[in-house]
Amino acid sequence: MIKKADIILLIVILAVGIPMSVLSLTAGTGGDKVKISTDGQVYGIYPLNEDCEIDVTEDGHTNHITIKDGQVSMSYSTCRNQVCVNTGAISQAKDAIVCLPNRVVVEIISSEEGKGGDADVISG
Amino acid sequence: MSSQAKSRGQSTRRLAFGAMFTALALIFSYVEFLIPLPVPVPGIKLGLANLVIIIAIYRMGFKYAFTINCVRIIASGLLFSGVFGMLYSFAGGILSLVVMYALYRTKLFSMVGVSMAGGVMHNLGQLLTACLIVSNIRLMSYFAVLLFSGLISGILIGIVAYHIEKRLPQDIR
Repeated sequence: MIKKADIILLIVILAVGIPMSVLSLTAGTGGDKVKISTDGQVYGIYPLNEDCEIDVTEDGHTNHITIKDGQVSMSYSTCRNQVCVNTGAISQAKDAIVCLPNRVVVEIISSEEGKGGDADVISG
Repeated sequence: MSSQAKSRGQSTRRLAFGAMFTALALIFSYVEFLIPLPVPVPGIKLGLANLVIIIAIYRMGFKYAFTINCVRIIASGLLFSGVFGMLYSFAGGILSLVVMYALYRTKLFSMVGVSMAGGVMHNLGQLLTACLIVSNIRLMSYFAVLLFSGLISGILIGIVAYHIEKRLPQDIR
């Protein structure tokens, strides 16, 4: 049932996949800003250490984002699958909450990343 | 029976089997839609419909497998997952079908190997589409989860497909 080529294929996939996975999973630390993007455009950047509630409304979709105790979560979304709400809270750099149906991405970045010429830094 | 009538009967048979395969694949999509796996990461599925597609590749050839898959994706998109879901399904479904057919043609791999590659490619295609749609490469952090889930479900589906194909009557093709 299983041929030699299958095993080789498995090893090749693992050999390519494991380093890429490690690379994509190595959690960064020191993230202190929350970046919200809609449709690939930056919607706003918020400090992680201040509690805050944000409503993102775009094209009739609404996503409600809560920043509390240094953690960010998507507390409400009008999307159909609710994957973003079920993702729970994130707090580490490189973590992200993604709502594909509404095209909203919430990610945690470090301040050096956020400084890069972003004019629309909103505090509070 | 003249040979022309015979060949017409043959093509009607194939059409009927193709339609049955499509219906079966659609039912599998529906079952997966009804009973999602209890994991919080989007995109992790068993890929039951792939069971039908892989057998279609082996028994009916690329053209039939491709048509069955496209009709299944369009129908299940309209019925269950919505137009956006359809887009992801197309990216994953077509990429995995092409790769599976290419591996099948080499005759080097068993059904398990073919299905394994199909599972991985399906998830990769969906992930790349998601990255394109939200224009965010950060999504690739799902890569690890999707790679291994695709690998494992692909292997499982491949084993099941192997046993089913062996027992399927030879005249279904």
